[in-house]
Amino acid sequence: MSIDVKQFAWLGIFTIALSLVNQWLIESNIVSILISLMILATFIAIYVKSHEKENNDGQSNTNGSSASAHDEVAYAALSQLSAFLTQEIEVIDSELERTRNLVQDAVSGISTSFKSLQDLSLDQQRLIAIIIANGENIGDEGGSTIENFVRDSSNTLEDFVKVIISTSKQSLETMAFTDEMVNQFQGIFNLLAQVESLASQTNLLALNAAIEAARAGDAGRGFAVVANEVRALSVNSTELNQDIRNEIDSAQEIIAKLRASVEIMASADMTSTLEAKDKVSSMMKHVSQANKDTGKVVDDMSKLMPQIVETVGLGVRSLQFEDLTYQTLASLKSNIDAVHEISNELNAITEAGSGDLTEHLASFEEKCQVMIEQTRNDNHQRTVSQASMEEGEIDLF
Amino acid sequence: MTIQATTLADNKGIKISINERFDFSLHQQFRDTYQNCNDNGAEFTLDLSNTTYMDSSALGMILLLKDHADKLSGKVVISKPNEAVNKILEIAQFHRLMPIEA
Repeated sequence: MSIDVKQFAWLGIFTIALSLVNQWLIESNIVSILISLMILATFIAIYVKSHEKENNDGQSNTNGSSASAHDEVAYAALSQLSAFLTQEIEVIDSELERTRNLVQDAVSGISTSFKSLQDLSLDQQRLIAIIIANGENIGDEGGSTIENFVRDSSNTLEDFVKVIISTSKQSLETMAFTDEMVNQFQGIFNLLAQVESLASQTNLLALNAAIEAARAGDAGRGFAVVANEVRALSVNSTELNQDIRNEIDSAQEIIAKLRASVEIMASADMTSTLEAKDKVSSMMKHVSQANKDTGKVVDDMSKLMPQIVETVGLGVRSLQFEDLTYQTLASLKSNIDAVHEISNELNAITEAGSGDLTEHLASFEEKCQVMIEQTRNDNHQRTVSQASMEEGEIDLF
Repeated sequence: MTIQATTLADNKGIKISINERFDFSLHQQFRDTYQNCNDNGAEFTLDLSNTTYMDSSALGMILLLKDHADKLSGKVVISKPNEAVNKILEIAQFHRLMPIEA
């Protein structure tokens, strides 16, 4: 019976040690290592107890001749176990501390980077707003926009067209008056022709009078003088007519020049105006499209901003996993402390190095039972609290 | 003749057709077509279907025609201008002054 228990304990120790090495080397899972260590300690306790019982059985037969030899071996094994536990605890302790520091550094770094990301994105938004404002403004102090400028240009063009047309109309009216004036000149020429005919008839009459005066002899001498004077007058009158005709001819030349210059004034080619109008129209279309596009971009950007803020906020909130990590580390720490306590207990037994091993081990087993119970309770509470924390995630974040 | 003037059947107006270029060279002829028409309420139809070019003096002539029609409480109607001519009429905003029939 006692051999069965002993074999069982050996098997347990062997199996647990093997899995411990496996966990330590491959998985590096601290919690399972700790639990394995606890189980290992329990198996060792069972082994030593069964060993004692065997000794006691033997003692009644052999009068305790080999009892002290067995005790020495047990003490040595316990001492080794104690040393092993102390060493492992130290390593785990320092690893826990290192993890804690790493998490702390990383979290503060990420936090800072999120905050500056938010600030930078705000700056970017502000700068883009400035660019858009500058793009719309054409730089005069009235804050005119390109749209206004194009509209003004269009109005100016319309005014320009009105001026051209009204100039043409006035010029054509002037032309009509000029044509009337030319007609008047024609009337004057007709009158002049009549005056010329009168002068020529007067000339003939004067000639006749001179002939009659010559026939009358001395009695007609005085009359001949008068007839000559009349003839001279008619010649003068013809010369005067010619002068008038010349003057009016030169006036008509001037009128021809006037006509040419009025024609230039009246005839403005509208092609360039048409082109300008087309350009302004297409510019209007372009500006209004550009304004629409810009408005849409600004709109999209203003929608983007709250999204960035929300995303950054989510990041910052997610960083509160730091708290949870610390809690996990703290409970790991308490597990380690429990192992540490067991280890101290073991240490006390091995340091004593003598005395009734069975008694020591009995109290050790008791202590182990207490610790197992305590750890189980702690673990149960922790599971409950973690579950509640996950449920209350929304409240916490 | 690049200008043809037809007196309408009911004697209530004149149809003036202009071929090819409508410019300053026509001003005398153009005026002659309407200035002797002094019937009250006369309607002047300006047929531009064969007009290919028009400068600002044509616009001035049309305005003078309109003045003449206004004096008679008549009206001016522009008929069938081609695309280029219509553009010029649009720039001059003639559609505000008189009906333009396509």
